[in-house]
Amino acid sequence: MHSTDSADAPRKSAVVADDTARSRDASRPGRLQGALFQSIGDAGRAELVERRLASAITGGHLRAGERLPSENDLARSFGVAPTTVRESLLALRSQGLVVTRRGRNGGSFVADSADPVAHARTALAATSRVALRDLGAHYAAITAACVRLAARRAVPSEVQQVRSRLSRLDESDLEQWRSTLDDAQIELVALSQSARLTREQMRLQAEMSPMLRLIDVDETSRRAQPVLLASVVDAVEAGDDHEAVAATERMVDAVINALIDLQSQSR
Amino acid sequence: MTTATSTSTAARAAAIVSQYFSAPIASLEATATQLGTELAAYGNLGPLSSQQLDALVEPHALATVSLPDVHIYGAGFIAAVGLLTDERNHLSWWQGDDPKRLLLAAQSVNKEHIDYSELEWFRVPMETGRGHVAGPYVDYLCSDEYTITIAAPVHIDGTFVGVAGLDLLIDSVERQLLPKLAELGDKVTLVNSVGRVVISTDARHATGDAVRAGALAELARTACEGVALEIIAE
Repeated sequence: MHSTDSADAPRKSAVVADDTARSRDASRPGRLQGALFQSIGDAGRAELVERRLASAITGGHLRAGERLPSENDLARSFGVAPTTVRESLLALRSQGLVVTRRGRNGGSFVADSADPVAHARTALAATSRVALRDLGAHYAAITAACVRLAARRAVPSEVQQVRSRLSRLDESDLEQWRSTLDDAQIELVALSQSARLTREQMRLQAEMSPMLRLIDVDETSRRAQPVLLASVVDAVEAGDDHEAVAATERMVDAVINALIDLQSQSR
Repeated sequence: MTTATSTSTAARAAAIVSQYFSAPIASLEATATQLGTELAAYGNLGPLSSQQLDALVEPHALATVSLPDVHIYGAGFIAAVGLLTDERNHLSWWQGDDPKRLLLAAQSVNKEHIDYSELEWFRVPMETGRGHVAGPYVDYLCSDEYTITIAAPVHIDGTFVGVAGLDLLIDSVERQLLPKLAELGDKVTLVNSVGRVVISTDARHATGDAVRAGALAELARTACEGVALEIIAE
């Protein structure tokens, strides 16, 4: 798994608490304030851009061979200077994630050797069982909150759109199959009408999706997933928020158990 | 409150809503027509790349997002699959307070591979050949916010080539439109065509809720001219 915020974690305290100067405030809770003034870390902006792009590549969201936007477009989009983008691309090149071609059709491309499934296999092997269960708990909590709202708020025609997306799942292309299932999941949770919850779900989906590809190759596990999601969709359409939550928990349990099984087989 | 009062309140509220949306819709329709003409001229010169498309769309998009009085979050053109030589899907889209072209952010799900032909703001103008107001909905493709998207189809010689659109954040609609509706004094709720609350002067009616289950379900709705939204006055 590719954590994006480890460099933002506090490394040292920039503000040394002075107990005498703050004695008047001693009765106030100081915990939040302490966190506020902690160092934001000295990771450079180039490193942040590099990590963002690296996790998109290893997560399969930028695919092998895909052209990256131009340095200027990336700079504008990330809100950094073009030299910062150049520096991060240099680092990505040295990691073998990006190649740069010169000439008229030149530019930066995701390296052909960047294989998200291989990265996912490494990431799964390196993840503890407790971390996987916790990821499942987080995912289930967010999804459950979304479908509970969706069951109260969605109209039948919207739910029908999710169902029609599910009906287009095509097992002849597993990459496309995963992408369609991810889209259906996001489309369903967006019916909560909550932008915050949907964004959180997308973040989690992006984190899980590469690992889910590892279990998609197993026919039993693959066939089970759309059926489990369809039962959540049914409950949302019926306006049954309790059943939508219960069905979500069954779905996430099945997926996490499959990941744990796969992990124990390969150990 | 008498029925007559709520009728006239509803009519006044509907007029306020129509007025609010009229400039963005007019700007969008002008963009759709002009883009059709400009794209047709390009078509005669040969195949079109995404860069060439962006150069055509940018001035229209920037003009739309800088309209006065209504805070427009994003605007642009979404090409139909197959229009461009170098990309299957392309969003030529500018958004934000300092509008930047949207590069599909990589921190989320495969955004660049989302099939938008199924999304309401693309599908309805494509199928009906007419402009459409979609939402409020969580726009997980462009704004990542709770959004209304107004979209109009673009045609070259009668062939559908994509959709010109603009995004209004519900946050802005609430800030700009709610005070005007509140001045009417009565409880007024704006709902969309599927009966979802957009904004309400009655704080108990939450944005995003469906009116089907609540006290509003039985009340008369007054259409807002020129935009597919309705007013319920209590």
